[in-house]
This record gives sequence, C-alpha cells and structure tokens, in this order.
Amino acid sequence: MRRDLLVYGGAVLVAVLVGLALAAGGGAAPDVAGRALWDGMFGSPYAFGSALNTTAVLALIATGFTIAHRAGLVNVGGEGQMALGGIAATAVGVSLPAGTPAVLALTALLIAGFAGGALWAGVAAWLRVRRGVNEVITTLLLNFVGLCLVLLAVHEEALLRQPVTSADTLPQSEPLVEAARLPLLGPPESPATIAIVLAAVSVIVAALLLRHTATGTRLTAVGMSEPAAARLGLPVGRLQAGSLAVAGGLAGVAGATLIATVPYVLAEHFTSGYGFTGLVVGLLARGSLTAVAGISLAFGLLASGGINLQLAAGVPAASVQVVQSVLIICVAGAVIFRKGAAR
Amino acid sequence: MEPALELTGVGKTFGEVRALDAVDLTVRAGEVHCVLGENGAGKSTLCNLVFGSAALDEGEMRLYGAPYRPRRPAEALRLGVAMVHQHFSLVPELTVGENLLLAERARLRPPDLTGRVKAIEEEYGLAVDLAAPVAGLPVGERQSVEIVKCLLRDPRLLLLDEPTAVLGPAEVRALLATCRRVAETGRAVVLVTHKLGEVERAGDAATVLRGGKVAGSGPLAGFSRDELVRLMVGRELADLDPLLAAGLDATEAPAPRTPRETAGEPVARLRGLRLRSDHGPDVLDGVDLELRAGEIVGVAGVEGNGQSELVAVLSGALSADEGVFELDGVDLTRAAPAVRTAAGLGVIPEDRHHEGCVTGMSVAENLFLGRLREFRRFGLLDRKAMRAGAARAVAEHGIRASGPDAPLHTLSGGNQQKVVVARELALDPLRLLIAAQPTRGLDIGAVDAVLTRVRDAAARGAAVLVVSSELAELLTLCDRVMVAYRGRLLGPVAPDAPGARDEIGKLMLGAAT
Ligand SMILES: Nc1ncnc2c1ncn2[C@@H]1O[C@H](COP(=O)(O)OP(=O)(O)OP(=O)(O)O)[C@@H](O)[C@H]1O
Ligand SMILES: [Mg+2]
Repeated sequence: MRRDLLVYGGAVLVAVLVGLALAAGGGAAPDVAGRALWDGMFGSPYAFGSALNTTAVLALIATGFTIAHRAGLVNVGGEGQMALGGIAATAVGVSLPAGTPAVLALTALLIAGFAGGALWAGVAAWLRVRRGVNEVITTLLLNFVGLCLVLLAVHEEALLRQPVTSADTLPQSEPLVEAARLPLLGPPESPATIAIVLAAVSVIVAALLLRHTATGTRLTAVGMSEPAAARLGLPVGRLQAGSLAVAGGLAGVAGATLIATVPYVLAEHFTSGYGFTGLVVGLLARGSLTAVAGISLAFGLLASGGINLQLAAGVPAASVQVVQSVLIICVAGAVIFRKGAAR
Repeated sequence: MEPALELTGVGKTFGEVRALDAVDLTVRAGEVHCVLGENGAGKSTLCNLVFGSAALDEGEMRLYGAPYRPRRPAEALRLGVAMVHQHFSLVPELTVGENLLLAERARLRPPDLTGRVKAIEEEYGLAVDLAAPVAGLPVGERQSVEIVKCLLRDPRLLLLDEPTAVLGPAEVRALLATCRRVAETGRAVVLVTHKLGEVERAGDAATVLRGGKVAGSGPLAGFSRDELVRLMVGRELADLDPLLAAGLDATEAPAPRTPRETAGEPVARLRGLRLRSDHGPDVLDGVDLELRAGEIVGVAGVEGNGQSELVAVLSGALSADEGVFELDGVDLTRAAPAVRTAAGLGVIPEDRHHEGCVTGMSVAENLFLGRLREFRRFGLLDRKAMRAGAARAVAEHGIRASGPDAPLHTLSGGNQQKVVVARELALDPLRLLIAAQPTRGLDIGAVDAVLTRVRDAAARGAAVLVVSSELAELLTLCDRVMVAYRGRLLGPVAPDAPGARDEIGKLMLGAAT
C-alpha cells in the first residue's frame, strides 16, 4: 500500500516536472503556467465542476473495464459503447412526453444508456464466448462502427437529427426534454451534475461485488484459469459475457451522462475520446477500484486544467496529453520494475 | 578436493513461513546427492536458492570453493549450474530444437546444435528428436528434452527437482541411469525425490529435510530404509500401509493384499466411448467399462494410450464423438461439469496447474470455489465461514500452508495436490471418483493418507477409477486393473493373481489376452 502510494506519487512528480519543462518550452514562465493549470483545476467553481463531470465519465468506464478485466477480458471498446449508450439515451430523452416526472425520465434515460452500451459489448461477448474471437479485436473495431452510427443518427432526419429549417441547422439531435437532464449538484456557477454521485456509487458497488460476493470470486477464478473454473462447474461463458456486457453498460451510462449535460444534445464526436482515456485509467489502476477513483479524478482535473493552460498561458493543451503519457509510462515502468525485484 | 556445492547456515523466510532454517549441505563432485523430505520441507526452495530464482536471507553458499550468490538464473547458468524444475518450462508451440536454441540464446547456431545434441546422445544415451513439436511429446520425452537442455550447457552442477514424478517405470530407469553417468563424468547432481527406491538405485549420499531443517545427512550406505522413512516423515515404515513399502519402488513385488467384498450395484457405465483425432487413429477407440459401488478399478498403461483423454471425456473437458457415459442411470455424456459434480462425480485431474486449481487464489477459495452458494450471508460471501471450513480441511488433510488465506502458489507442489484431493473427496454424495495420478508429487506419508481415503470412499459406496503410472500403487489399491492400449482398455487383470505384473506388462505392449 505504502509502496503503491510511493509509485503513484513519484509518477505524478515526474509528470509535473515534465509538464513544467514543456510549458517553459512553449514560452510560458513556470509560475504563470503553474498558476494557469491550478486555476483550471481548482480556481473557479466552473473549472472544478467540469473536472468533476469528466471524472465521472472516466470513472464509469474504468470501473466497467476493471470488472471485465477481473474475468480475464480486456474491453477496449469504451468509446463505441459510449456512443451507443448516448444514441439510446438521446432516443429516449427527446421522445419522452413533456410532463414526465424527472425521476422517471432520468431512470429511463440511464437504463437506455446502459442497455445501448451493454448490447454493443454483447456483440463482442457473443463472438468471444460462442466463436472464440478475441474480444480485444472485436471491441476495438466496434468502436469505429459505433462512432459511425452516431454520425448517421445525427445526419438523418428519419433518425435523431433535429428538423432542418435552414441551411445552417447543425447536424445534431433536438435537445432533451427538461425532465431528462441531469440535475446540477448545487453550488452556484458549478456545472457539476449528479453524474459524479452516480460514478461514486458505481465504484463502491463494483468494489463490493468484486471483493465480497460469490460472483466476484467466480469472476476472479475465470480470469485466472478458465480450464480450472470450467472443471469446477462455473458457468465460464456466462460470467465472461456478463462481465463484458456490464463493462459496456457502464460505458453506455457514461455516454448517457454526457448527453444529459449541457448542451443536452447528441452531436458528432460527443464522445471526445473519453472511451480511450477511461481505458487508460482502467489499465493504470491495475484492478483496484480505489485507484480507479483516484486516477479518474487526477485525469479529470488535468483535462480541465489543460484547457485553462491554453487559454491563460498560451501553452498548447496537447502538452497535458504529453504529461498524461509520462504518467502512464512512469506507473507502467514502476510496475515492471517492482515485478522484477519482488523475489 | 573441494566440494561441488557447500551451503552453510542457509535460511529463507517467506512472510511468516520459515522455509529453510540453518541448512548445511555438502555435495561432492562425482556424486548424486539426494534431497529428501516431506511435502513442504523446503526441497524446491533449496534448489531455487542455488539456481538463483530466489534470494537467500542468510547463510552462505560456495560453488567449487568459490563464494557463490547468484542473483538470477542467468548468473547461475553462467557459473555452470543448471536445473530441471518441478513443473515443465518448455514452450509447447515450438519444436524441440527451437526450445533448445531458445535456452541457448545467441551462444549456439542451429548447425552446431545438431552436433552438440549428437555428442550428448553418445555420451549419455539420451536421444531427442529436434524436429518434433513439443506439444505432441509424451511427458517422459519432454523430461528428456529438459535434461538435454541442461546438459547442453555442460553444467558442473545439475539440480533435478522431482524429475521422476511424471514418469513411467522405464523412463524413470533411463533418467536415473543418466544421473549416474553425469556424476561419473565428475560433475555433481542434486536429485529431489520422494521415492526411496530411486534413492537407493541412483544416490550416493542424501540429505533429509524436515520443516526446513536438516534432519539427517551423509552417505547412503550409512542409512537403512527404515531410518530414512523415519527421518523423512517421522513415522515407522511398519506403520505405513503395507502397499507403501511396495510403492517405494515400482520394481518390487507388492505386499499381499486382502481381497475385499466388492460386487455392489453398478454405478457408472461407459459404452463405446470414442474420441477422434484430426490426425492418425482414434484417441479413444470404443471404451467399455462398468464400475460398481465400492469397487476400485485401475487403469495402467504407457503414457499416450488414451488414458488422459478418457479422464478428460469423463470430467467434461473434452466431448466424446460417440458412446455413452452414465452415472446412476443418468446420461452425462454431454453434461456440463457442474451437472456432473451435482450427480456425484469427483475428478482429481492429471495436470493440477492446468485445471486442478487456481494458483493465484487462496486455499479456502480453491477448496470451495464450486460451492460458494453455501457460503452466502446477506447476499455477500461469508469469508469467515469459508476460512473456518478451510482450516478444518487443512488440519484433516495435513496441508502445510501459512493459513486458509495463503495463495495456492505459495504452497509446495505436494501440498497443492493435497488441496485438490481434499476438495474432490469432500463431495457429497460422492458416487464416482476419477483419480488421475492422485499421488503425484506426494511424500510417502501423504500417499498413505490419500490411498486410505480413496479406500474409505469406496467403502462408503463410491465407485473409483484410478489412472496411474505407478504400477505398484494400482496393484495394491485396485480390485481389477485395466490396461490402456491404443485407445482401448484391455484386461481386466486381477491384481492378486500370480504373475499379474507380467500380465499387465504384456498388455501394455498390446499382446492379446
Ligand atoms: N513464494 C512463497 N511464498 C510463501 N511461502 C512459500 C513460497 N514458496 C514456498 N513457500 C513455503 O515454503 C515451504 C517449503 O516449500 P517447498 O516448495 O520448498 O517444499 P518442497 O519440499 O519442495 O515440497 P514438495 O515435495 O511438496 O514439492 C512450504 O511451506 C511453502 O508453503
Ligand atoms: Mg517441491
């Protein structure tokens, strides 16, 4: 535990140093860049709120990744599953009757998101369990199909595109009905929605499931040794398919929360690569849901800090991505190093 | 002359387990030094320290007089120490030649390899087919490859960790002969084994470990068999099952056994079981067998005659192309493993690392993985009850582990096997027990316990099918012995009939009855 903190702490330190060096290279004095980054993270309710929204999306995806990974499956299809979750959520969110109570509308929206993502992952799960097709390949390829489906949905009036009234009607859906929008957490000027609560609940439930239930133990057994698990009578196929579907479902919910926050529409590229960042969070967390929560928060803060870095200090936001990559390399390297030393 | 290997005051601790404690060991050049001891005594740990795959905590080692402290296996190899591990380490997808080159990295080019292997064949009489894919080799030949792999480096010290556990009698003889020849060329061999017969046949000196300490050491001439057994397991040879005395050495005649009343009602029926193979003849070529309650039936045979596949078909790991397998009148031919377990089928699989257990999970989890439903409280897993149940099984079966939560990979090989045996025997009701090499890697005390338990299970009305390469074990345990030959079961042979051993030997070669 202490070693883990040391590893993550050291990685952050190195990443910060690299970030400062990059900022200096970009022409910003370290103190200016540092201030800009800090302001982008904690400087205003707006900054912190949007960081929390990103955190929620990443945490949901990484939680799903961790569940499937426990059963020995690697889900790299978060992006596509988000897309499908978003489409399903939009379909429900724009067509609910005006007087629907918010609780009902939100539940319907989230269930639709979950179902959309789970179905999309279910395709890969079916191929894996029935046909033995490697899920890394199928989930990866389904990402591109999923993203194309979003394009299709927002360009076709027969699907989800808002009615075209003029030449410059944007290719996006109608806004969700009022009741289906995620309520704000409360602090003035903060865009933070209850998505972060949803994500926190998911992380806690998943931690309980994996650690303290029979299902969690069975998933672990399947992940560690498929032949032994089968020999002992565990329903290997069902457990694998189920875990991958849940991973997809959680990514779908993440997509739904994106749709149900400002500007409340389905638009091209609404997934903005969060599916892949969530995958990275899951990989870095190495099966620990505590780490999922921590790393999601760090990445959420970095994302919002990076935007401000560009706005206020003129340092390209891409340098934040470099910093993230350095973080990844440090943590992964430390893991390999420790594996070699532990004898 | 300086000893080849000298250990003084060596200690190693894993967490709370003291695996080795103040161990002194002297291995002379030109001798085969046997390391004996019960399961978990520290034999593998000792080998791992010398080979550099674990680091010692205290004490010192000397190799041919020079201080020696390898930090990794590569360093040990460079200094002329080679090791054959308790579990195989070849890459099955590659050919024998590729595996050998892999081990040698850049030091050897393919043309040179052929010459070197030829030289080894001439020197030790160990032939391997360089072009054969490893996956298709019987375990005995794989073991030869492992040894050739070691000899290629021309080691000064050869460590063999239970190399005979997976071998049949003929292969064991060949391996022991190789050991002798290696020693005669002036090198040193450390041989870990549980079988006293092998010790007497190949060893010059022995060191017995008990609980990580040296219980006795010296030239073998100074020990009687009884003494060795007492040192190893702390019991008198006479206390052990009489068949064990025979089991110690597969070439000796078994002690006479008392015939038991068996003819209970039929429990299991196999009819015309057939398993096709993509290349070559059918692996199972119409197996018929009827097992009665209380009956113990053995399957002998040279490895690769379909006995592994028979176990796989019965356990549900492979599905038969034709035929029927019935348990208590229920057709289980295509049933899922869970259904088979519920019907009362217990299976001790041959390859425990592959399908017998999950080495990354704890002892308790491994014991109860198939029965987690019984440990649910408020929807959560009742770990306390699991731990308590596991603690009972650990005590009852004499499993050496630091506790019920210890991950299985921290247990010694024999203790892992005990966990598997304990789990399968705990099945209730147990109607049919299929035991493939149930005593593989167990010390003689544990073998005794397992055989007693298998007999008890039969006495309580279960039918038992034992597949084993230990002929003596089959002859003393079973009511009748079948012989697997090219996918069929020949026999039966009554174990107490005079000349049963020769009869089985003939059937193994396919001679008609
Ligand atoms: N990595 C590990 N972590 C914790 N304990 C370990 C580890 N490896 C071995 N042990 C413990 O050290 C002791 C000695 O184990 P070792 O494998 O050397 O026994 P062994 O004599 O080879 O037994 P066997 O005949 O069953 O192979 C055992 O009690 C085992 O549980
Ligand atoms: Mg061992």
